[in-house]
Amino acid sequence: MGAPDPGRPPGRLVVGVDIGNSTTEACLAAVAPDGTVAYLATDLTRTTGVKGTPDNTAGALTAVRGALARSGRDAGEVEAVLLNEATPVISGLAMETITETIITESTMIGHNPATPGGEGLGVGTTVPIGALPGQPPGAPVVCVVPPGADFEDVAAAVNAAVAAGVDVVAAVLAGDDAVLVTNRLHRPVPVVDEVAAVERVPLGMLAAVEVAAPGRTIRTLSNSYGLATVFGLDPAQTRQVSPVARALTGNRSAVVVRTPTGDVTDRRIPVGELVLHGAGRTLRVDVDAGAEAIMDAVARVQPLDDADGEPGTHVGGMLAQVRDTMADVMDVAGQPGVPVSEIAIRDVLAVDTFVPAEVRGGLAGEVALENAVALAAMVRTSRSRMQLVADRVSEQLGAAARIGGVEGEMAVGGALTTPGVDRPVAVLDLGGGSTDAALLTRDGECTAVHVAGAGELVTKLIGSELALEDREVAEGVKRFPLATVESFFHLRHEDGTVQFVDQPLPPHVFARVVVLTAEGPAPVPTRHALHHVRRVRRDAKRRVFVVNALRALRQVAPGGNLRALDFVVLLGGSALDFEIPDLVADALAPYGVVCGTGNVLGTEGPRTAVAAGLVRAHAAHLVECPAG
Amino acid sequence: MSDPGPRPAVRVHRHPAAPAPVLRQVRAGVEEEGVPSDVVDVPGPAGATALAAAAAADSPLGVGIGLAADGAAAVQHRTLPGDRPVTTAPAGAGPTEWRRIGRVAARVVKRLPLG
Repeated sequence: MGAPDPGRPPGRLVVGVDIGNSTTEACLAAVAPDGTVAYLATDLTRTTGVKGTPDNTAGALTAVRGALARSGRDAGEVEAVLLNEATPVISGLAMETITETIITESTMIGHNPATPGGEGLGVGTTVPIGALPGQPPGAPVVCVVPPGADFEDVAAAVNAAVAAGVDVVAAVLAGDDAVLVTNRLHRPVPVVDEVAAVERVPLGMLAAVEVAAPGRTIRTLSNSYGLATVFGLDPAQTRQVSPVARALTGNRSAVVVRTPTGDVTDRRIPVGELVLHGAGRTLRVDVDAGAEAIMDAVARVQPLDDADGEPGTHVGGMLAQVRDTMADVMDVAGQPGVPVSEIAIRDVLAVDTFVPAEVRGGLAGEVALENAVALAAMVRTSRSRMQLVADRVSEQLGAAARIGGVEGEMAVGGALTTPGVDRPVAVLDLGGGSTDAALLTRDGECTAVHVAGAGELVTKLIGSELALEDREVAEGVKRFPLATVESFFHLRHEDGTVQFVDQPLPPHVFARVVVLTAEGPAPVPTRHALHHVRRVRRDAKRRVFVVNALRALRQVAPGGNLRALDFVVLLGGSALDFEIPDLVADALAPYGVVCGTGNVLGTEGPRTAVAAGLVRAHAAHLVECPAG
Repeated sequence: MSDPGPRPAVRVHRHPAAPAPVLRQVRAGVEEEGVPSDVVDVPGPAGATALAAAAAADSPLGVGIGLAADGAAAVQHRTLPGDRPVTTAPAGAGPTEWRRIGRVAARVVKRLPLG
């Protein structure tokens, strides 16, 4: 450690390093003998390896060297590297449907092509187009057309049959020709097209085809009693087909075929019981009772010691999967493996959601949104391997490296460097896998909690509720504001603002809902309008972050009373989100709390709080015991 | 072929030698989307992209389709640079592609995703 250069802040150099789940942050400071801290530079890099494992060394060194380079200091001047005590908090996610729509014997085509033809309701017997000429006059028939048929031939065949007295009341087509056929009919009838598996439409059966006028939705087939009227059903049969009516709600067109053995079941899948151990008792709750019932039970067994599900049930499988993933994550070469039995689930967040599932027995790839429950579970173990990281950092940097205080306390310390914040202060660290809260009282006492569920769960909810197959697209919907491309040269943002552009927008985003990424607009592959996508996005954030903010703060607030809190500082990657901080602040507003996104050191925003807190704690410690 | 009048329609500029099945499927694609189309014969050496650009400039809806002598097709919008059509189909593409050309033109008019 050389003598300090003139003009440079006096004192010994220390670096606080926070290894997080996704980023590693460093904060370099000069600490004077009287404990005065001069912050010199910060740096941020991707975490290498899984948090709390020796692989973190490379990222930690990169961040330390980055901070040194920014301040023009040399590694040789560093007296101490202070690492966070990375309590391995690992979270896992599982999602399971709890309802299922099964259609046996092809009873329904809940079909909604982009361009059906004609309008109205046609009820008759299904007949292949080739058999039209032989039909007895007067009996209503629904004409079924195979793939590859030419629209003019189809129209001619129907016109000829009608002229011969056959009562053609509707048609079902494999190809995309409904409007073309209808335009050529002398007597237009409702026509539904794009029925991929048209060969599986049962023939000789009573069928109903309904097409609503543009801008409207069907009225008869989406109504249980409408179906009962059309098919002459008794009350027991009506009860059986009511899921069909529900599945067709909101469609512009639909086909329902009544087959004698046809059966639709809308069954609830026994997902199993979640068994929660905590507060000296054990509570059991049916997962298909829904998220609210589960979260009530979780609240009643706080603090949670462990959770499991009966083997052989969905929930048992979900939690076993989470535990296995965690055991794998914690496996480190050269170290004894972590027995799965040693992994205790310390928090659970349940969220009601929907999962799109292809209707079994459907004919045109129909998809129904099935009810589902998503569970985020979180584990804490005592097996931190940060000492290994500290040893390796020390070895490579030639400076002492030690593990500093608990993350929660350090985060609070760092948050205090945000302008306008004073004790008592609570922080909410909005991360990827967990949401952490910590409270520092006026007397300097600190309590911290971790709860399961954060950014990853939001991405997953958005992905499943919008039926997005690509996780990256869901991530984009979460992170970026939406817009609709209205022409090749302008787009309308989700707040209604219209923006013109100089260069034509590419055809693949034309008229699409897009997310505005740094690289430009990226299409969201959905038929939903912008406002639906926006609502799904905001609801997902609310169900995870607002719910978690409130329950985590209640666990640290004196007497569980949110009104007892003064300042709440939002930290972490999700605090950089364009709307999550607002949603959380809105939820906390009724409690008279000052809530906002942190600005660590007055410059760093919601990042680097733990690293800055480590430096601060180190300096305070120096003053208390000067020998240190 | 309908009268080239002032009614709002997608304008199709077709080389007289363009294969009839191409025109039929292209127009069917436009019609399936519920949009009218008008056809004008344009002899000469122009390719599909140039024909589409001229058609778009003439169309009351600002959307044009070009069908070249070899059966190649292109869709163009009045606001776009002439060398950057909305979409194209090569010569000998087939009925599905021809239908798509018509559908894309109609969907530009209707401001729907072109998919």
